[in-house]
Amino acid sequence: MIQVSELTKTYSDLRRGQFVAVDRISFHAMQGEIFGLLGPNGAGKTTVLRILSTILRPSAGIATVNGYDVLTEPALVRHQIGFVSANTAVYDRMTAWELVEYFGRLYGIERSLLRERMENLFERLKMNDIRDLLGSKMSTGMKQKVSVARALVHDPPVLIFDEATAGLDVLVGRALLDTISELRDQGKCIIFSTHIMREVERLCDQIAVMHRGHILSAGTLHELIEQHEEDDMEELFFRLISDYDTRHELANVER
Amino acid sequence: MKWSNVQLIFLREVRDQLRDRRTLFTIAVLPIFLYPLLGMIFIQVSQFTRQYPAQIHVVGAEQLPMAPQLLDGERFSAELFDFADESNLLEVTPYPGLDGPVGDELTAMVEQSVRDGECDAVLIVPATFGQQLAEFRQKLARKSLRRDQASDIIRQIPGPTIVYDQARDESRVARDRLSRVLQLWREKMGHAYLAENQIPLAVARPFLAKETDVAPEAKKRAAIWSKVLPFVVLIWALTGAFYPAIDLCAGEKERGTLETLLCSPAQRSEIVWGKLLTIMLFSMVTSLLNLLSMGLTAGMMMRQLQAFQKIVTDMPLGLPPLPSLAWLLVALVPISALFSALSLALAALARSAKEGQYYLMPLLLVTMPLMVLPSLPSVQLDPVTSLIPVTGLMLMLRALMESDYGAAALYALPVLAVTGACCLLAIRWAVDQFNNESVLFRESEQFESRAWLRHLVRDRGDTPTVGQAMLCALFILLLRFFISSQFSLPADWTGLATLTVLTQVAFFAIPALLMAGMLTRKPGETLLLRTPRWLSLPAAVLLAVLLHPAAISLSMLIQQTYPLPEQIEQISRTLLSGAPNLWVLILVIAVVPAICEELAFRGFILSGLRHLGHRWWAIVLSSIFFGVAHGIMQQSITATVLGVVIGYLAVQSSSLFVCILFHVTHNSLAILSQEFLQQYAQRLPGSDWLLETSEVGVVYTWPVVAVTLVMALGMLQWFRHLPQQLYAEERLQEALSHQTARATT
Repeated sequence: MIQVSELTKTYSDLRRGQFVAVDRISFHAMQGEIFGLLGPNGAGKTTVLRILSTILRPSAGIATVNGYDVLTEPALVRHQIGFVSANTAVYDRMTAWELVEYFGRLYGIERSLLRERMENLFERLKMNDIRDLLGSKMSTGMKQKVSVARALVHDPPVLIFDEATAGLDVLVGRALLDTISELRDQGKCIIFSTHIMREVERLCDQIAVMHRGHILSAGTLHELIEQHEEDDMEELFFRLISDYDTRHELANVER
Repeated sequence: MKWSNVQLIFLREVRDQLRDRRTLFTIAVLPIFLYPLLGMIFIQVSQFTRQYPAQIHVVGAEQLPMAPQLLDGERFSAELFDFADESNLLEVTPYPGLDGPVGDELTAMVEQSVRDGECDAVLIVPATFGQQLAEFRQKLARKSLRRDQASDIIRQIPGPTIVYDQARDESRVARDRLSRVLQLWREKMGHAYLAENQIPLAVARPFLAKETDVAPEAKKRAAIWSKVLPFVVLIWALTGAFYPAIDLCAGEKERGTLETLLCSPAQRSEIVWGKLLTIMLFSMVTSLLNLLSMGLTAGMMMRQLQAFQKIVTDMPLGLPPLPSLAWLLVALVPISALFSALSLALAALARSAKEGQYYLMPLLLVTMPLMVLPSLPSVQLDPVTSLIPVTGLMLMLRALMESDYGAAALYALPVLAVTGACCLLAIRWAVDQFNNESVLFRESEQFESRAWLRHLVRDRGDTPTVGQAMLCALFILLLRFFISSQFSLPADWTGLATLTVLTQVAFFAIPALLMAGMLTRKPGETLLLRTPRWLSLPAAVLLAVLLHPAAISLSMLIQQTYPLPEQIEQISRTLLSGAPNLWVLILVIAVVPAICEELAFRGFILSGLRHLGHRWWAIVLSSIFFGVAHGIMQQSITATVLGVVIGYLAVQSSSLFVCILFHVTHNSLAILSQEFLQQYAQRLPGSDWLLETSEVGVVYTWPVVAVTLVMALGMLQWFRHLPQQLYAEERLQEALSHQTARATT
C-alpha cells in the first residue's frame, strides 16, 4: 500500500545551510495494518506524512501510495488518501455538513452517493448534533471529528493521522482511537504518528521510532521489545533516543 | 484543470467572504455610509469657511481719494463686490501702531505683523497717493495733458501695496479677495474719469468677445466624468481586490485551512482560479458600490450647494451619460482581473494577514503612477502608452467614455494584449507560489545580511535560481535606463563605436559574468559554454539566413505602423556611414552585441528562468526582457520575437555558441541589407521578383518571405529533434502533466 524508500527531505536554512529534516528513511505499510511513527517533537514525522500526502515534495528517494508516485502523480495520490493532521484545520465560517460536503464534491463524488455516505459518517462519528454548527463555534474535539469525516468522505484506501489526538481530552481521544482501529478492521492502510507511547502500544501493528530524521528502530511491538530486551515501551523509546544522541555527540566531538 | 472544481471553490470562497463581517463592512457598508458622511462634512466645513471673514489692516486710509469710495467704515464699499453681502468677508481696521508717514520702518513692522498672523493682509496706501490722483484728475479735467504725459503721470503714481503671507491659507484668501476689490475700484475710478471727460463708457469696451461652445451637454459631462471616474474605479477595484486576496491566501495560511485544501484533490491551478474569480467578484462589487454611492452623494451635494451658494458656473453637472457608464462597466472586468491577479500573487507570498498588509503599499506605489499618468493633459493614447499596463487601459477607457471610438479601436488590440499578458503572468506567478513549498511553509526567519550573503555563496546551486535570474534582468534594465540616459548621442563614428562596445560590455556581459561567477557553482553550465554538436552551428547560420526576409518584413511593418522619428533615423544613418569599413561596422554593431547580449539573456537569465519548470515560459520571459532592454519600442518588438527563436535554440542545443552564431548572422544580414539591398534593387536585372520597394524601404517580395519562412520552420524541426537536457523541474512538470492527462481520462 505505502512504500517509502530512501526518502530524504532537505530545507535550505539561512543559518544552518542545508538542513536535513528526513534522512534516507525506508518503510512500508500494508492493507489492514496500522503503521505507527513514534518520535519526539521535531523528529521529522510531520515532514514524512506531509510528503505522503503530497503537500511537500521529497528532495530524494521514492514514496508511492497504492502504486502512485507522490512526486510525479500527486493528484492521483490525493484520491487514495485521507489526511488528518494538527495542521489541517476546519473552516471557521462553514458548518460541519457544508465542509464535509465541499470536500466530497471536490473528490467528484456523485450527489446522491455523497449524501448517503455523509449520513452514514455523521451517524457513525456521532456528529448529527453539530451538523449545522459553524467551525468557529466548535470545540477542539468537534473540529477533529469533522476533520476525520472530511478525510473519510471519499472512502480512501489509505489514511494518514498526524498527531491526531493532540489537544483532545481522554474521552474524545479514546473515541478517535476506536474509530481508527475500526477503520483498520475494514481493511484500510493507516499511518499514525504520535509521541505518546500508550497510543502506539494500544493501536499499532508496526512501529518505527523516528528521531532527528532517522528511523532508529522498526518492527512489531513484540519485535522491538525482543530486539532491545526492554519490555517497558517508554523506557525503550527513551534509551533509543539517548543512545542516538550520545553517539551523535561523540561523533561531533571526534570531528 | 476541472472547471467544476473551480466553480466549487469559487462558490465556497464567496460564501465564506459573505459570512465575514469585516469583508461585508469594507465592501458594502463602508461605501454606502462613507460618501454621504463625507459629503455632509464637506458641506458643513465649506459653509463654515465661507463665513470666515478675512482681517485686513489698512495703513494710510486717510490718503484714499473720496470718490469713488473704497472704504465704507469697517467694510469695503459694497459696490465693489459681485454680491453686496460679500463685503462682510473683509473686515477692515486701521493699522494699530504708529500713525506717522509710511516709511521703511513701518513697512518692516507691517510685514512682521502679517508674518506673525496678527492679521491676514495689510493694504498700504502710499503717503501721496490721494493727492497725486487728485492732481492727475484735475489736469485731466482741464484737458491740459498730452497723451504721452497722461500715461507718464499714471506710471509715476505709486500704487497701494498688499502685504500677505503666501504660506498661510487665510492670508492667500485675503489677498485674492483684496486684489479683486482693488481691481473693481480701479475700474470704477477709470469709469469716473471717462464720465468727467464726457467720454461714453462704452469706449473702454469697444467690443465684447462671444464664446460658442459646440460640445453637446452629454459630451461635456462625459469629458469631465471620463477624467474622474476611471481613477475612482481603479482605486476601488484595487482596494476591493486586495483585502479579500489577503484573507483568501494569507488568512487561510494563518487559520491552518490551506493545508486542508492542499491535500484535497483540487489542483493548485483550480485553487488559484477559484480564488481569483472570488477576488474579482469582490473587486468589481466594491468598485460598483463605491461608484454608485459616490454618484448619488455628489449629485445631492451639487444640488444643495447650488441652492445655497448661487454658484455661477458653466460646469455641466449631472450624472455621466449612459454610454460612458456602460463602457466603465465593461472596462471594470479587465481592470478587476488585472488587480485581482496581482493582489492574489502578492497575497500568496504573505505568511500572515499582517504581512499581507505590508504588501499593499508597494503595490500602490507601483500602480499609482500608472493610474495618475493618464490624467496628465499631454498623455494620449499612442503606440507607446497603449503598451503600458494600467495606463493604456485607462486611456482606452477614457477614449471610449468620450466616444472617441476610432482611437479606442485602433489601440484595443495592444491594450488588451498587454492587460491579458499581465493577468496571465500574475496568475502563473500565483500558481507557482501555491506550488512552492518555501512560500507555503515559510517560517519567520530573522533576516541578517551577513548570514544571507554567506547563504548565497554557501548554498549556491549549479545554475542560478529564478529569483536570481529575475534580479539580473531587472538590474540590467535599471543600469540601461539610468546610465544610458546620462549619455547624449555621440557625434561621430568613433564615439558611437566606443559607446556601443562600452554599454554592451558594462550592461550585459559584466553583470552576467559576475553573477554567474559568484552565485552559481557551475558558471560554464549556466552560461551554456558547451561545445555544441558541430552540425548545429551551420544550421544556426542557415536558420538566420532563412529568417532574414521575414525579419526585414516584420521590422518594416512595425516601422510603417509606428514610424521612427525622421531625425533619429537620419542621425543613425550618418553615424553608421562614418565607419572605416564594413568589417569594423559588423564587428561593432553585430558581433559585440551578439556576444554580450547572449551571455546575459540566453546565458544567465534563461538558465535561471528554466527552474520555473516551463520551458516556454522561460523562453518568452527572457525574450521580453531582451526586447525591453533594447529601449526603443520599434526595436523591442522585433527583438522579442527574435529572442523567442534564439531562446528555443538555446534550450534545444544547450550551447551559447549556437545562439551567438545565429545572432551574429542575423545582425550582420540586417546591416548588409541596409547597405546593399537598395543598390541591388536598382541595379540587378531580374531582382524585381525578389525585392520590391515599399514606402519605408526595400523589402523582399511575399513569395520569397513565405518560402524562406517555411524552410525556416523546417530547420526548427531539425533543432526540435536534438537531444536536449531538461532541468529537474521541467522533467517533473512533464511528469505532472502526464499525470493530469491520466487523471482526466
